Amino acid sequence: MSSPSQSLSDVHTLSTSNLNSSGETGEETVVDIEDDVESQGSLKSGSQAKLNLPRDKKAAGDAGDGADDFETWMKSRQLIRPEDQLDLTEAELNEEVSKVLTAQNMNILKNLVIYSFKEGAYVPLPLPSNTVTLLSFTGTSLHIDSDAAKKQIEELGDDVIQGFGAPAIQPHEKFKGGEEEGEEEEEEGEGDGGRQSIEKQPEVEDKDEEEDEDEEEEAGEEGEGPQGDEEGAIADEEAGLPPPQSSRKKKLVNQFNFCERATLTYMNPTRCVETQTVPPPRSTYGATVLQWVIYDAYEEDFAAQQTLEPKKKLGPPGGKKQDSKKGGKAALAEELNRKYLKCWQILERMINQNIYDDIAQDYRYFEDPADEMREEEGNLLPLWNFHYEKTKKLNVTDLYFNPHYYDLLAVCFGNHDFLTQKPEGAMCCFSIKNPSFPDYIIMTESGVMCVDIHPKYPYLVAIGMYDGNVAIYNLQNFILEPIYMSKGVNGKHGECVWEIKWGPDMPDGEINFYSVSVDGRVFNWILMQNELQVTTLITLFLTEELGAITTEGPDGTLVKLKGCGTCLTFHPLNDEVFMVGTEEGIIYKCSTAYSSKYLMYYEAHYLSVYRIDFNKYNPNIFASCGADWRVKVWEDMRPEPLFIFDLDSAVGDVKWAPYSSTVFAAVTTEGKVFVFDLNVNKYKAICVQAIVPRRKTKLTRLCFNQKLPFIIVGDDKGVTHSLKLSPNLRVMCKPPKKQPWLDQITLQNQKLEKLLSLVRELPEGATAPEGTTVAKA
Amino acid sequence: MAEESGHEKGESDKKIVHVYPLVKHSDMAEEMKIEALELSMTACEKYASNYEQAAKVIKETMDKKFGTYWHVVVGEGFGFEVSFETRNLLYFFFAGNLAIIAWKCS
Repeated sequence: MSSPSQSLSDVHTLSTSNLNSSGETGEETVVDIEDDVESQGSLKSGSQAKLNLPRDKKAAGDAGDGADDFETWMKSRQLIRPEDQLDLTEAELNEEVSKVLTAQNMNILKNLVIYSFKEGAYVPLPLPSNTVTLLSFTGTSLHIDSDAAKKQIEELGDDVIQGFGAPAIQPHEKFKGGEEEGEEEEEEGEGDGGRQSIEKQPEVEDKDEEEDEDEEEEAGEEGEGPQGDEEGAIADEEAGLPPPQSSRKKKLVNQFNFCERATLTYMNPTRCVETQTVPPPRSTYGATVLQWVIYDAYEEDFAAQQTLEPKKKLGPPGGKKQDSKKGGKAALAEELNRKYLKCWQILERMINQNIYDDIAQDYRYFEDPADEMREEEGNLLPLWNFHYEKTKKLNVTDLYFNPHYYDLLAVCFGNHDFLTQKPEGAMCCFSIKNPSFPDYIIMTESGVMCVDIHPKYPYLVAIGMYDGNVAIYNLQNFILEPIYMSKGVNGKHGECVWEIKWGPDMPDGEINFYSVSVDGRVFNWILMQNELQVTTLITLFLTEELGAITTEGPDGTLVKLKGCGTCLTFHPLNDEVFMVGTEEGIIYKCSTAYSSKYLMYYEAHYLSVYRIDFNKYNPNIFASCGADWRVKVWEDMRPEPLFIFDLDSAVGDVKWAPYSSTVFAAVTTEGKVFVFDLNVNKYKAICVQAIVPRRKTKLTRLCFNQKLPFIIVGDDKGVTHSLKLSPNLRVMCKPPKKQPWLDQITLQNQKLEKLLSLVRELPEGATAPEGTTVAKA
Repeated sequence: MAEESGHEKGESDKKIVHVYPLVKHSDMAEEMKIEALELSMTACEKYASNYEQAAKVIKETMDKKFGTYWHVVVGEGFGFEVSFETRNLLYFFFAGNLAIIAWKCS
């Protein structure tokens, strides 16, 4: 009762169910299936071919009379059988073949070993997989729900599917459980070539049944048998494998959904409007050209030129006159402007006077009554603050009172932070009468570091700049352009100019000034007719006793180190002698007469010297200050200072008071002003006052007014503060009783001498008599 | 403008030949006048022997620079009576024997 198809369906079932059911016999399973098929088949129409249906007695009995009809019908048909089908006798056909299914795969090779180099021995391999793939090939069908299928449908159009009534489905080619099949084949030895083609059929039919969900269920089972070919053909038709004739493509839809529309708007009615403009003006001109006319014209013109030329040769004054004639109107307007400006300035001063009336009153008349109660102490009364909007971000780098106009002060603006130099600077002249706006403003391209006003010509202002240039301005000029300006690499300092001082006029009346710079040179500048003549006065070479190290360059040349000049001051009596302070902290006493030798040097400070100032009464006494927090008072030709004061922060400036021989003031970077009166207190300042908020603002420079008891101090925010000295800070000498009347100068000198005699240490003092300065080393 | 060819004027007065441009009459703006003078001089120097060509070049350049229509006469002897758009006339002598008149009239 075993036919190939039966065994196959058996295998199929087994493979789909689990192979674990080893206890079951093949026979039972077969019977079950056949029962199933039979019962279904009896209900269905007999039109389907049912061949090789294995039946046993039990099945035949069940079929009943329906089976007789079937049998007769069957016999009427010529059955096509495969060529290689075995011819079996009836007995053979009816023979029962028993099959044994085991869960073990007999074909698997056991005891496989491999040599392991790691262990140096043969090790057993794991058992190979139980799955054997007999046949595998990729189908060309797609599942209807897959993306690729959808795409294909889209391309071919919906009608493709409708036309076939069923989606294209490919039979499964893969069979799981092929092992069992193989086993069976071996056992039965009945396997034939046609088997595989038949094998496919049930699968196809199964699929159809699922999708068509109708009677064709049966067809799957009936399809088993030699008529598989026919069945296959039918199945092909029904399944509708994608036929080649469905190549007509559906037109693609316009992807942009483009459509064209138009509309007609109203037409604007046309109108005619005309305007006639005035035609451009015309003139007529006529002349006759002849050679002699040309010649005459040239002659005439030449003659006119000849007469003009002598006038031109008169020089610039003549030319200037012409200019003034030409620009008569402009000049007039300018003059008018100046008058207006003057009026406005007066008005501005009046307004300021009213606004700052109380300050102005204090400035002249207020005397702190508290000073009478205090002994040896004074204070500073803040008056106006001078600042200018454009120089707000710059530091005040120098201050100077005009020697002629005591209420006019020159303020320099630059930058002390040398890493962030800005290409701007300014010099402003403020008047006490107008604290709100500078009277003169000079803007420069580099920070202005120092200023000096000529004592004889109070309109001549010399400024030194950060880039090493010096410039001379004449404040009388309406337009503030430099009348002299250093130019060229050799015509200027190599680095920042730190101090500039007008010198006394030359024997032949030439105006000249001196400047000192970080490049270690002191220049003398002479204002020639139309240029600035420069001569090097001295180069501040470090001497060996000062620890100068001559360094050797790579090619063996000796490089002499130079001192970096930071301040310069002239002896009040001897025009030839001057002092130069350097960044090394040394003060050199030099003479204009010698350019290579120092008269004297003082090892004054540990850090940069910021200012040297001579006493206004005794020319042998001078004070110096520096970044090492110290202020020192020196006597000429004495290498040791007379007084040392430590002010707890870098001292920006020190100045002797013009009214007293023992009073000097200093400003520090902590924002404090110190006023000393050595006559009152030799050890500490009689006034210490913070002017600006500490840490935020530093005080940079200081200047005494020559006439009135007030000082100005500059800070690094571009503000200049004016401060009135309280009465205790300006104690004058009382003329001694019972003695002939002495003037204040003598008294002041006496006062200082008396003080100095206390400090001077003999034996030095014995060899330091009066007039040491004059001695030229 | 005052270039003089007569270097040896001290020797003999009569030999002086002036070649600089001498503006006889012009009502142009100063800038325009200078420009017109320069381009006319260039043209006259370039075509020193062909006045017609020189006039043509001047006219075309003036048309381009100052707008149409310019009329230019370059010659040694002629008479003229022209009407022109005011502030658009330049009449000058050049090279000692040339008279150039350029005017605009559209």
